Parts: sequence; C-alpha cells; structure tokens
Amino acid sequence: MVTKAIGVTVNGKGHELALPPKTPLLNVLRNDLELNGPKFGCGLGECGACTVLIDGVAARACTIPLAGVEGRHVTTLEGLGSEGAPDIVQRAFIEAQGAQCGYCLNGMIMMVKALLLRRPDAGVEEIKRELRYNLCRCGTHLEILESALLAATRLRQHG
Amino acid sequence: MSVKIDPETAVMDLPRRDARDKLTGRTRYMVDMAGSDALRAVIVRAKVASAKIVRLDVSAAARMRGVRAIATAADAPELHGIGIQDQPLFARDRIRYPGEPICAIAADTLEQARAAADAVLLELEDLPACFSMADALAPDAPILHPDWKNYECIVDGVARAGNIAWEAKVLRGDVDAAFARPDVTIVESCFRVGRQSHMPFEPRGALASYEDGRYHIITSTQVPWTVRAVTAKVLGVHSSLVRVTVPPVGGAFGLKFDCSIEPMAAILSRKTGRSVSLVNSREEETTTCLCRENADIWIRSAITPEGTIAGREGVVLMDAGAYGGEQVFLSTMTAHTLGASYRLGAARFSTRVIYTNTPPNGAFRSCNGAYNAFALERHTDEICQKIGMDPMAFRKKNVLRDQDLGSTGQVFEGDVLGPMLERMEALRASTGTQEHRAAGRLYGRATTVGTWNIFVGPSTATVNLNADGSATLITASVEIGSGSITQGVPQIVAANLGIHPSKVIVKGADTDAAGYDMGTGGGRTVVSMGSAATAACAVVRKRLLETASELLQTKPENLVLRDGRVEIEGRPGSGTAIETVIARAEQTQGPISGSGSFTAPGTAKAMPGCAAGHFFDAMDLPVFVVHEGEVAVDPETGEVEVLAYRVVQDVGRAINPRAVRGQIQGAVIQGIGYGLHEQITIGPSGAIEQTGFETYHIPLAQDAVKVDIDLFEGAPSCGPLGTKGVAEVAIMNGGATMACAIANATGKKVQQLPLVASRVLGLVEGFEEMLEHPHISRKWSDNILK
Repeated sequence: MVTKAIGVTVNGKGHELALPPKTPLLNVLRNDLELNGPKFGCGLGECGACTVLIDGVAARACTIPLAGVEGRHVTTLEGLGSEGAPDIVQRAFIEAQGAQCGYCLNGMIMMVKALLLRRPDAGVEEIKRELRYNLCRCGTHLEILESALLAATRLRQHG
Repeated sequence: MSVKIDPETAVMDLPRRDARDKLTGRTRYMVDMAGSDALRAVIVRAKVASAKIVRLDVSAAARMRGVRAIATAADAPELHGIGIQDQPLFARDRIRYPGEPICAIAADTLEQARAAADAVLLELEDLPACFSMADALAPDAPILHPDWKNYECIVDGVARAGNIAWEAKVLRGDVDAAFARPDVTIVESCFRVGRQSHMPFEPRGALASYEDGRYHIITSTQVPWTVRAVTAKVLGVHSSLVRVTVPPVGGAFGLKFDCSIEPMAAILSRKTGRSVSLVNSREEETTTCLCRENADIWIRSAITPEGTIAGREGVVLMDAGAYGGEQVFLSTMTAHTLGASYRLGAARFSTRVIYTNTPPNGAFRSCNGAYNAFALERHTDEICQKIGMDPMAFRKKNVLRDQDLGSTGQVFEGDVLGPMLERMEALRASTGTQEHRAAGRLYGRATTVGTWNIFVGPSTATVNLNADGSATLITASVEIGSGSITQGVPQIVAANLGIHPSKVIVKGADTDAAGYDMGTGGGRTVVSMGSAATAACAVVRKRLLETASELLQTKPENLVLRDGRVEIEGRPGSGTAIETVIARAEQTQGPISGSGSFTAPGTAKAMPGCAAGHFFDAMDLPVFVVHEGEVAVDPETGEVEVLAYRVVQDVGRAINPRAVRGQIQGAVIQGIGYGLHEQITIGPSGAIEQTGFETYHIPLAQDAVKVDIDLFEGAPSCGPLGTKGVAEVAIMNGGATMACAIANATGKKVQQLPLVASRVLGLVEGFEEMLEHPHISRKWSDNILK
C-alpha cells in the first residue's frame, strides 16, 4: 500500500511522507502533521471548513489527495501568522469579532487570504462572491464580510 | 448584607475571549482531541425502518484485523428517555427507524472499524411500519412500542396510548359557549411544517477513556450533566462513575441538548482499556439528526364583532420519530406559544406526540415555538382578512398586556408586546421600507409577534478569588458559540466584584469540578448560571468586605468594590487594592471562595385544572419578540428575496449589546432558512433523504440579510441585573414572518413551511394542494384520549 515518499512543503517546512498517495490532504495535515487549523466538516468538499492554500490558491484539503500536492507549497491557518503576530486577515477577524462557534472560520480566513493575495483591491461584491460556497451555520456571514472588508482596507492602507 | 449592584457597570461590548484562538486555529474542539493513540470507532446502523431482530452475530467482525472491541445491546441493559424511558442505546429485539444503532466497533484505524462493520451479521424479519403521523394514528396502525404501558415515565397519569406517546392538554373557560355565540365569526386553519436539521459544523461525537474504575467522556455537548446521567443509566452503573468534560463546541443549536453516542464510546473504552474516539460522519449526522420535528396543526377561533378572540381551540401533532425524546417535554410549549401572545376568552389545545418509524427528533432553538408561531401568525392574518381588520390594529388590540391571562390561566406581568409593536413601527419609519426594490415582482410585508419561555432551572457556580486579584468561575456551562458563559456570566461576576471581566477566569465544563447544571440552551445560561454566580459572588463579597472592614477600620456597609479596589463609598481612590484584602483574608480566615445556586423562582402559577400532561404549567420567565419582513416574490420562478428584516426583541437588559445583536442576526438567518429553503424530506422507506450540505440548503453568504435590530429593555425579569436569554427566542418568528409576508405578497393561503421556490410557484399558479388534515377531527374532544 505504502509507496515512495511524497515530498511536500507545509507552512514553509519540507516533509517526506511515506503514505498512500490517495490519502486526503486534510487527513495528512491533521493526523500526520498534527495541524489543528483546517477542520473536517463534511469530507466531500461541500462546506469549506478544511480550506488551505496550495501555492497561494485556496483549495479544499478534504478532496485533494496527497499525491496532488507533491512538490507544492501548502499553507494552513497556522502558517499565516504566529500566535503573537497573526496575519492581517486574522487580525481583522479578531477585531471585527467575526466568530461564534468558530468552526467554519479556518475556511473563511483562507478564502479571504487567497482572494487578497490575488486581488489586493477586492471590493465587497467580489468578497461576497468568493465566500459564496463557504458555509457558516451560526449565521455570522455579515460579521465575516465585515472582517474581510476590514482586512482589504488595511491591506490597501499598509500594503 | 445585600448590596445593590449598579447594572450599568456590567454593560459593555466585551470582546470574545475565544476569538483569537478560534481565528488562529488553536481552539481544540472535541474532534481535535483524539490524538494518534486513541482507537477509532464506528456505529453499525439499521438500514430498514421496522423489523424484528432475529439474530445479531458480531463474531466474524470481532476477528477482523485491528478490531479491539464491539459494543452491543448486551452492554447497555437499560432504557433512557427525557419523559418516557423508551429508548435503548442499541436496538435489541426490534428496529424502529432507519439509522438506529445496532452495535459499535472500535479498531486501530477508522478504515479497519468500517471494514469490520461490513462483517456484522444481522438477521431480520420485516415488521409493518408507519412513516407519517396519519399512518400512526390510523385505527389499524401497527404499534411501534407494544410495551408502551410498561415504560417508566417521569410523571404518572399522563394520557398515552399506543402510538400516541404523550398528550398535553389545555382547557380554560367554556370554549363551546364561545363558538356557539351568534355574533362571532369563526376562522379555521390547517398548517404543516417539515423538519429542520441543525447541521452543526462539528458533528456529534465523543472521546472516552476508562481510568480508576471511572469513565471520562470528552464530548461536544450542551448538557454535560445529562450525558453523565444517561450514560450511567443505560450502562447500569452509578452516575458518580462518569465524568464529563466539554471543550468549546463547534455549533449545537439544540441538537446537542441530549445524550447521544457518548455511552457507546464509554463502553468501548472500558472494554479496550484505551481511549476511544467516536464521531458521526456528515452523512450519519444528517440522516440521524434529532431535527426540529415535522408537525400538523389545526386551529380555530371565534372572533367577536369588536375584533377580540372569544374562544380558540387547536390540535398540534408532533412527530417524535421512533422514540419520545425531547418531543415529550416540548409538548408543553404549545400552551405557551400557540396559546400565548394573544388574550383569549376561552381556550383549549391538545398536543400529541406521535411515534413513527422515522429517525427521532429533538430540540432545535425555539423548538416547537418556531412552527407554532408560524401557525398562530398565519391564522391571525387569516382572521384579519376574514373580518376585514388591519393586521397591525388587530395585534395591538389583542396582544397580551399587563395582568392578562395566558392559556393556562397564568397572569402576565408588564405591558411588553404592545409597546414593542409601537417600537416596530418606529423602527420601520427610521429605516424606511424597501418596496421600491421589488422592481416588478410581488411585494409583501408582514409583522408578527411571538412568546417564548426562558428555561430557568437548576444551576450552581463557584467563585474563587486568587492572590492576583482575579476570580475563577467554575460552572458546568458550555461555550457553544453564543458567548453566554465566556462573555455574559463573567460580566455579571465582574460587576459583582468590582473587577474587569478579563480578570474572571472561566473554567471549562467538568462534572468533577462543577456542580449540577441543567444545560446550556433554552436561553437559560445568563439567567440561571448568572443568578447562581451572583449568589456565589454574594458569599465572596461578604468575606471580602468583612476582611477589608477590619483592615480599613470602617464598617463593611461603607465599602464598595470598584476598579479592582475596596474603597470607602464616595471617596474614589481611597481604601486598598483587592489583592491586599485577599492576602489578608488568606492569613486570617483562609482563601476567599463562595458557591451559589439557583433554580426556577416558581412565582408564575397557572389556574388549577387548566393544564394536564405539562412539564410546567406556567412560564417562569416569558420573553417576547416582534419581527417584520419585506419580501419580493418572483411570480415566474417562485423565488423569494428578503428585502428587509426588522426585529424588536425583549432582552430584559442587554449587558453585551454587540454580542446580543450578533445572536439575533445569526438566529434570524437560521429562521429565514427555516421559512424558505431548509427542507428535510422523509423517503418511502422512512429515511431522511438529505445526506449533507449538498442536499440540505443552509443559508449562504448571499442569503444573509442585514437585520435592523431594536433592543427592548426594561420588561420584568428575574434574571440577574434584569437580563433575559436572547439567543434562543430570536429564531422563533423567522418562519412566521416569511410565511405571512409571502401570503401578503401573493394573496394566497400559505399553509406550509418551508416555502421553497416550487411551493411558492405552486401557490402563485394555483396548483399547490390545500391542506385539510383529515386525521385531525373537527370535533376537538375527539383529539384527546379519554
């Protein structure tokens, strides 16, 4: 079952993983690399709680096999900033209090991060469109949107 | 020494203390805690709705690679249930719904446990089944629980029979006489609602271990003490042998107000001596969700020429699914929702909880209130249409006011709903209507009212003062996302002790550390736990002030607690830091600590003889809402856009206005989802047809409407500092408001929720079938057990 090791960089650190190539990336991140940011919500790519960045592009880790990220750079929520110095997007979410139960927020933050990497001047409609397939059950959509807008504004002001 | 605390000192927009960890991915929910050494477990579930179990053979499964233990009905001898002890942990001799647990398997890996599940042999003999309440009530219906008479019940003498698991009844005044009056107009309506699924992002699950002869269950629950009690009950062990701890919960909404799969993990941990992680898959979570139940409602009113309600009668059929569960308890709420909000001359209601061969239902935020409000408010608008009265004028004339009687004869205190309706008109005037945005579509607007109860009840709290001037708050309340135990209660403690809430440490729920609590839900945490914490603070204050009095050479009554200091009243900056007093007390009398308790005040009383089969006859703490929605209906597609939404909510006192508004906003989004598009259907074999987010449409970012909110403060409340629970009731009128606004837009008789586009189109085009409810007799007394 186990084939040759697959090389992948996660949060800036190189790993050689001797795991079945079809193992979902989410399982590798959570179980083998013991990362806590990406969450299991459905396992079918429907909810977005597991979102990570692959070479800076948002992707759903629960439906991407390990082999699909060979040689690539994966960034999880933990890789955005440190506890003492959270990323500009995380800081905006904290400031705008965009959290209730908090389970979906990994996905929301990673989506916003990916959008702002791609389009630093994204406006409200673009952010809404980007988040339209990321689900939240507490109904914090508006606080999330406010957080995202705050992050975009900050980014424009401070680069 | 009873000292008045200035409530204003508690009011602030305290930020969430858990936001930073939640937003940097550091929060550990139950599903994050298993680690690599825990065994993984799966549940083997029934695939049919109704069958006799002839043989269960797990021997082949037990021999499979990696399998460590299998738990079956033999390991869980006792039945459990909230009102009726009718449910086994694992099906024994009989399967009653598709998805019912048969056994649970623990293995080294999840894949191994799943493989072993396929090797379980189950020999069945088909039994007839009832998939709808009409089926179950038919004269020749198969009885789901042939042994129903022998089940243990929480109270004796309740009307029950066969598939009627429970009947709650209200009777006040002479309803027949009211309907026989020659001058009344009689209005009759039928309604039906489907189920609503909670879909919390973190599924139900548990991580159990067995140490020193005791079970330790880490679980995603709202009710640690219930999990402790039920686990002990079904396992047949003493409840002191079960410890339950709860990390932050990733969404609950009432689903986690019951013990679920925790005892299975407990059994497997004892059998293996290892930690066992058992977590529902998304499909299991959706297809066995303890949904808000589907219900059939019939309601009839006699209206006087003056536009008052001389008499009202109604029948509510609640689908329990295969086991009684929460529905037995919730049957009580018809009296306080369908029977509330308006002044009634005479009233009678029958609420029946019906067994069907479908997955059991449970509690969901504002429980059956959400559909009883829908039925009541649509019925109210049908009355207004029939008698030609303006719906707002009718409501202003008839809503409950100070000293009015509720359906069970309870006397309501304070004039709340009337002024709230006026505030709604003012809110509409200040925000402006959105009719211009309907742009060619059918425009509708509706204002609805609702009554709910705060489920006060037992809580206890301990407050320890620490040498650094901080306080540790120890409770069994759970952080489910609402912030009640991490923002609300610490704010109350801080106001009582004159310190900043950031100096109140909140211990996570642990039944070994904290005393009994009824659970986090029902809008009760800030009220009940807040009251218990206030009582604990009174003990702490007394000791602080006595010590300070000695230290500062002045009487305790001259002292105040403020800004982390003990000061002499009227002399800011005098006295000494709280740390000094704590250190002094430690030397002279020992560390300062206090505990306090609270339960329902029991001041609300029903009229004797008005209510039967109820868990409480009167509401200890009623709470009210007024909602208003504006919609645009596309007559070509049946699609509904919510143009505006307004809420005036009775919050008692909002001690954290930002958090309160966040809860209302989120609840309204869920409530609109219930009204418009959240649809659970039961298939031909009794199973829930939706399996996850792809087939069950929860509100998306583009569905989210900004709610204009006016917080109505000052209504009577037994809550600490005048607070009431806010997060529960806020969902209640979402369905009602959507239905009434769509009826207003289309001019059609809206009878069912959810109002998915196909149903709305059916109404507009006239091909939506009208409900008649032939299984509910028009002679009210036929709908009660004799």
